[in-house]
Amino acid sequence: MTEAEIIEKLQNGSEQAFKELVDKYQKLVVNTCFGMLHDKDDAEDVAQDVFIEVFRSVQSFRADSKISTWLYRIAVNRSLNFIRDNKKRKWFQSLDDTVKSKNAIFEKFTSGDSDDADFNLENNQRANVLHEAINSLPENQKVAFSLNKYEDLSYKEISEVMDLSVSSIESLIHRAKKNLQKKLYTCYKKKCI
Amino acid sequence: MKCKTIHKNLIFFLEGDLPEKEEKQIEAHISSCNECSAFAQDLKKTLGIIEKEKTTETNPFFYTRLKARLESQAEPAKVPFWKPVLVNIIQPVFFSILLIAGIYTGFKIATPVQVNTASVHYTSEEIFPYLNEMQSEPIEGFLME
Ligand SMILES: [Zn+2]
Repeated sequence: MTEAEIIEKLQNGSEQAFKELVDKYQKLVVNTCFGMLHDKDDAEDVAQDVFIEVFRSVQSFRADSKISTWLYRIAVNRSLNFIRDNKKRKWFQSLDDTVKSKNAIFEKFTSGDSDDADFNLENNQRANVLHEAINSLPENQKVAFSLNKYEDLSYKEISEVMDLSVSSIESLIHRAKKNLQKKLYTCYKKKCI
Repeated sequence: MKCKTIHKNLIFFLEGDLPEKEEKQIEAHISSCNECSAFAQDLKKTLGIIEKEKTTETNPFFYTRLKARLESQAEPAKVPFWKPVLVNIIQPVFFSILLIAGIYTGFKIATPVQVNTASVHYTSEEIFPYLNEMQSEPIEGFLME
């Protein structure tokens, strides 16, 4: 099915077309959400919300834009909303999370051979540091950077998703990388990994 | 090139964003400076996490779960184009016809009875049996006992 055919069938309520759409774009949506949320379960939950929104708002989809652009937009907005909602909840959960992550590290240590565990532990810590650094970026920088890095989108494609000029995207990603480097250098100096 | 300048540009170097000339300068510095080389290694490893994290496999239960969620929180189904015609026009007309037909049949059935009423004398008790029952056994009577 071509994009136009999928959309037309979706607008006529075809479940077959919806399944095809999900199969085709599931990875794209989950990956985009993961790039913003850095948690597999959260990313899948939000990705489900994305497809539910797609199913319900397909009537208003305008055929002059690409399906992927539309999906990226919904995925980005949903992820940003999730982060905003989560910030309010996070404060209460922080203690619980600390305990959980300690347990996770402990499990990594106790399971498997020690070389593997060391490698996993280091990678886990690296991942945490990286996620924290990305999370601390201003929203626009975060969106542009993760679309570029997790979805390998070109500046042109990101500019269509974010509805900004290509040069704005260039500057957003440049500033994002600068900020990340600063954070990661501070961490390196403090030997936080 | 100073170490500080290197630190500021290392991420762009690793990402391949720099012009060739600058790239060569940084390359030369790193190969002779332990401090910068160590940070470059570290930064490269950390940024490399992104590649490792990219989703390669898809959850096979994703669609099943999605469908269950859609069905459980189903919004009122899309109204087919013929539905308003049915609800707003055909249904009222149908019930009106039914009503009129009912009244008409009612009259048809009632007419022979009406003929008989002229010849038979009914007492008021026979016509309003329930009302009279109420009269002989007032509701207050039940409540009092
Ligand atoms: Zn140096």
